[in-house]
Amino acid sequence: MMAVVFAALTLALIVGWFSRPRIAIALAVICLLLAAKLFLFEIYSPETGFRMPWLQTGLTVPADGA
Amino acid sequence: MNAPALTVEQRLAALLNYNFLFLMMFVIAAILTAAMTLQYAYGELPCPLCLLQRVAMFGVCFGIVQQFRHGFSYRNSGLSMLFAIFLLIVSVRQTLLDIYPRPGHEYIGSAVFGLHMPVWSILIALALMTAFAIKFLILGGDETLAKVRAESFPLLSRLAAILSVYVIALCMINFVSVVLQCGLGECHTFGYALLPK
Repeated sequence: MMAVVFAALTLALIVGWFSRPRIAIALAVICLLLAAKLFLFEIYSPETGFRMPWLQTGLTVPADGA
Repeated sequence: MNAPALTVEQRLAALLNYNFLFLMMFVIAAILTAAMTLQYAYGELPCPLCLLQRVAMFGVCFGIVQQFRHGFSYRNSGLSMLFAIFLLIVSVRQTLLDIYPRPGHEYIGSAVFGLHMPVWSILIALALMTAFAIKFLILGGDETLAKVRAESFPLLSRLAAILSVYVIALCMINFVSVVLQCGLGECHTFGYALLPK
């Protein structure tokens, strides 16, 4: 997946250099979307995702009787 | 057809614009070169989030290269800024991840001037967004900037072309390197997956 992101970016740069701005921009946008998807996968994956248990952003509900 | 006559102020604004963009691309190219030197000379393999930060920096360069090749446009500036925002999001996430060291989750790689790469990336992303904001504030999005092509300044245009080709070459090397490191799958590796051990 990372290889595809870099492939899209490299293609965007090369195509942009050879005067095909619209195709180049489309490729750069595709690269950005794929990179965002990969980033979300990295942080939410149950196996390899990176959890940050020391940061609590949700409201913690107190246990009964607490 | 003759090009419209420009005042000295308009030409100066265009020159400032291209100088500003050149400087931004130069700094990013230097940072990427340093990161790749650490990777190839000191064997510090980039993690998946580090690679995404490189993607973001190349993306910022993409918008700048486009401005030199096809003239000033908000579209290219916007694309560069989107990649800068992406850089900020990824680097903040990684810094928050490593700010609390535990086994398997320490900062990866050497510290440069006391700061690790994700922390540097936050500063770089903030600097890039500030630079774009200041550029818009001072130069605005004048029609004039779009009228004057980089070729009007031969020396700067030539230097920008050399730097652009250098950035494209860096991106190609990174692409090959990523294929060797990760193959076509996920990138959780501790070595180059496709190279013999």
